[in-house]
Amino acid sequence: MKKGLKKEQSTTTASSKESILSSANTLRWEIGEHVHDSLIESIYADANQIASRAVTLPAGKPRFDFDKKLDTLITSRWFGFPLMFLLLAFVFWLTVEGANIPSALIASLLVDTIHPWLRSVFVLIGSPWWLTGVLVDGVWLAMAWVISVMLPPMAIFFPLFTLLEDFGYLPRGAFNMDSLFRRAGAHGKQSLSMTMGFGCNAAGVVATRIIDSPRERLIAIITNNFSLCNGRWPTQILIASIFFGTLAPPALAGFITAGAVVGVATLGIFFTLVVSWGLSRTLLKGEASSFSLELPPYRPPQLWQTLYTSLIDRTAIVLWRAIVFAAPAGAVIWLVSNIHIGTMSIAEHFINLSNPFGILLGLNGVIIIAYIIAIPANEIVIPTVLMMTVLSTKLSGIGSGAGVMFELNEATAVADVLRAGGWTMLTGLNLMLFSLLHNPCSTTIYTIYKETKSVKWTALATIIPTIMGIVICFLVAQIYRLLFV
Amino acid sequence: MIDPGKALILFGITAAVLTVLFIPKYGLFAQWKRARHGMNRALVEDALKHIYDYEYKNINCTTESIAGVLLISTDESAELLTRLSAMGLLITNDNGVKLTADGNSYALRIIRVHRLWERYLADETSVPPTEWHSSAELAEHTLSPAETETLAAQIGNPNFDPHGDPIPTPTGEMPPRKGHSLLSLKSGEFAIITHIEDEPEAVFAQLIAQGLYVGMQVRMIDRSNERVRFAADGEEIVLAPLLTNNLTVAPITEEEQRITAPLDSLASLKIGEEAHVLSISKAMRGQQRRRLMDLGVVPGTTIRAEMKSASGDPTAYAIRGATVALRRQHAAMIFIRK
Amino acid sequence: MQNHHKFTEGEEINSMSQTPNENCDDCPVHNLGNLTKLGINMSQFDFVVALAGNPNTGKSTVFNALTGLRQHTGNWPGKTVTRAEGGFVYGNKRFKLVDLPGTYSLLSTSTDEEVARDFILFGQPDVTVIVVDATRLERNLNLVLQVLEITDRAVVCLNLMDEAQRHNIKVDTRRLAKDLGVPVVAAAARQEEGIPELLKNVYDVASGAYLCRPHRLERTAPRLEKAISVLSGKIKKEFPLLPNTRWIALRLLDGDQKIIDAVKSGELGNLSAKSAAIRAARETTK
Repeated sequence: MKKGLKKEQSTTTASSKESILSSANTLRWEIGEHVHDSLIESIYADANQIASRAVTLPAGKPRFDFDKKLDTLITSRWFGFPLMFLLLAFVFWLTVEGANIPSALIASLLVDTIHPWLRSVFVLIGSPWWLTGVLVDGVWLAMAWVISVMLPPMAIFFPLFTLLEDFGYLPRGAFNMDSLFRRAGAHGKQSLSMTMGFGCNAAGVVATRIIDSPRERLIAIITNNFSLCNGRWPTQILIASIFFGTLAPPALAGFITAGAVVGVATLGIFFTLVVSWGLSRTLLKGEASSFSLELPPYRPPQLWQTLYTSLIDRTAIVLWRAIVFAAPAGAVIWLVSNIHIGTMSIAEHFINLSNPFGILLGLNGVIIIAYIIAIPANEIVIPTVLMMTVLSTKLSGIGSGAGVMFELNEATAVADVLRAGGWTMLTGLNLMLFSLLHNPCSTTIYTIYKETKSVKWTALATIIPTIMGIVICFLVAQIYRLLFV
Repeated sequence: MIDPGKALILFGITAAVLTVLFIPKYGLFAQWKRARHGMNRALVEDALKHIYDYEYKNINCTTESIAGVLLISTDESAELLTRLSAMGLLITNDNGVKLTADGNSYALRIIRVHRLWERYLADETSVPPTEWHSSAELAEHTLSPAETETLAAQIGNPNFDPHGDPIPTPTGEMPPRKGHSLLSLKSGEFAIITHIEDEPEAVFAQLIAQGLYVGMQVRMIDRSNERVRFAADGEEIVLAPLLTNNLTVAPITEEEQRITAPLDSLASLKIGEEAHVLSISKAMRGQQRRRLMDLGVVPGTTIRAEMKSASGDPTAYAIRGATVALRRQHAAMIFIRK
Repeated sequence: MQNHHKFTEGEEINSMSQTPNENCDDCPVHNLGNLTKLGINMSQFDFVVALAGNPNTGKSTVFNALTGLRQHTGNWPGKTVTRAEGGFVYGNKRFKLVDLPGTYSLLSTSTDEEVARDFILFGQPDVTVIVVDATRLERNLNLVLQVLEITDRAVVCLNLMDEAQRHNIKVDTRRLAKDLGVPVVAAAARQEEGIPELLKNVYDVASGAYLCRPHRLERTAPRLEKAISVLSGKIKKEFPLLPNTRWIALRLLDGDQKIIDAVKSGELGNLSAKSAAIRAARETTK
């Protein structure tokens, strides 16, 4: 049938087509530029007529009473924000507390049980030592760490977030937060993608799809990395407890530690707003901007559907990407620690080389190399730092050899290793700052590219936080040394 | 280890140098970009545009006027004119200069790019109105014809720029000039602003600051040699006569006169109150305007203010059965009758 | 919920010789037992069905109910960013279902809207299902009326009827169907209510058993009226089979580049020929 149709079309001549277009052009001069406006007007005139004939609205109150009361409470001047903070605090508490036990379980299964077993299997089948090293000590351990740190909090955080979303609370949250983000040249919905970023930046970047204005969406994407993701929380908590918690009497240690971590996270929100403000006035001035926010009616969330979709859509996909990126990083970590040039491994050469730069920033060579190798996943930064510190300071009796990442169960044991590696209070502080302000992990970078389809914006999202991290660590280091040394 | 004091000083110096180099508008980099704009092609094109503009307005164009507009000496200006006529773009006669057909179409092409670019900035970006013109001055010399047509297609082939000037078609057609100065209105007469001249920039900025926009309804109240008093969207505005030269208006029929008293805007609606939409200000443009209309905000729509956000802005409105949040700045551009 | 029976009583379809459930062996019996969900396996299909709708109307739920896939659903615009596709078999015919991005309109210049508009206009789906929020009908009709300007084969799925009931809102689907000129099915997709009726109506429209007479905009601003009639006259002369010349004229007057290109390349003629042929084929089968 389709073939026969082609012929009819050829009877149309080029000149008559042109005449349609040129007369359209002439007519456009006469009617001015209100076509779109009048079109929508007449559509809505018809829509109104049709709807009024078909719909019988309930007599009296136009909106459901319960919804209205809930709205009044949620957007109330006095209760709106406290309610939101309580809700968020509850979600975070549940995530952190709930993730502890499964995280430990998964770690003990993957690292303490399967890892030695895998190793013995590889030895049994006679695989060469280097292959065992790359695959079992490198790739397997990196994956094991990413899974055990990342999976439990995400599996709790994302479903909770999705439930709030399906219920209809999140749009109200954006509604309340909008005026703060408006002043930063951004969209209120950015508060949601930002919050999502506390779970995972890659998921936060995907969540910016809810922002339909190009400029505000780009701002939200580029600044999402300033939300401290759950791959960085453990680092923050560990370092804060070692270097800040110990400053106070033991009874207050937990409080000080939590305060320091929340302080860094708040600093992240501050940078989100400042950088959004700067971007909207400079680089992103040329992007279209608009604001609309529909507040959907409240709906009872569908528990199972939500669990399923948030596990499949968000957790599994993000986890899969992280594993894909973390595996090669594990191999690289093992290789640079075990390939020797002269008497030292590549890693040690690099540590010595970058040490002066690290010191200038109040960090050290080990941290620099750890952040370069651990671009794929923030989760493996601390294990890498520990292993490399032991490697470069030739400590004995700790860890399981070159290239084998490890963690220590006691914070005091970690502290001993780090202090042996020459860490001071400044190193701890700056590591916390640098952990907040550095390039996004490669999963996030890849996601940013997929969402923006632009090398330029991806590069910008990578470079801005890195430069900020370097500059701020540098300044903090110099001022600290001026004041305290 | 480097002494922290020295390191900080070094950092300060580096930061200062980078600022001087790259700060927007005033930095050396920005100046270099502007300076490059003043080169050959730009000069030729600006001259053509100027001559065309004067012909369109029936003003005689001279070497001096060109020198004045392009900020070059009269000698350079004369040299430029010689070059243009050698290129076959214009002919010189006793009264001044006149464009040839080639010159005419060249000038229209430049104007097309300029006005399209201004329209693009107005509709699709968040660049402020005072920067439209200067940005278009750069773009008109850099966009290729193909890029121009892609841009036009992308923004829906507009035929007026944001100042109300018609945009020439790719083939160089342009309708004759319509409308007259605001000063020609008698007291009590209604008209609609059809054009706001964007040069000189200072005057344009002042008019924009008064909230004037193309498509706004005005009514002359009275005028004297010192000042002109008129109502714009119902609100009284007083301007020096000199400034009103930059405003062109066209008369409107009686039935189109919708505004007689000062208009209420949606932003003034209190929670729980209901109103009908009269119109959306023409100052709301591009994506924002389309999105708003898609959501059902059109003349005649009933809107009720539902609730304020916990921070006071935005406000949620019931619009055609849905609840939609609008920022105060946008609500202020929607006119209503309570 | 047997709304489709009501349409068969409507005057515009009195010409139909048979109501589907009597004397029709291979007509799909009106239950879900006849639905085979195909997931994303749809190598061959007889009909293409496009799924359009405002954001937040349960469009994805309808999609999932029909295909057995689990598209992410959510309260947000722009959730379905990539075009999702799935398939199902109903009444011995294989249907490909294309989930378009949720949009408020088809006239603005956002990517989402362009994707949706281009698919309905140039993709020529056999049926376009428009999912509508029953509690916000008037706002949703904006999109419905725009879709009906473009295509004349559509089914309106009046979703979230359970919500409407909770809010005490009553919708006269029969009246609505008469005014819109296309089938209207009341549904609550989350409970799978109304899905059988939806399938049946999609089948009827796709196979030509039901002939739509879609509502077209008549009243436009007087300023535009002259320009529209001049232009649509010219278009009609050039593309005599085109069903929606006034709409095309309006789009040209608005400077819509895709339509301009379609006129230039003659693609418009192609489209008009196809839709006319389908109409002719359907009229002869009856």
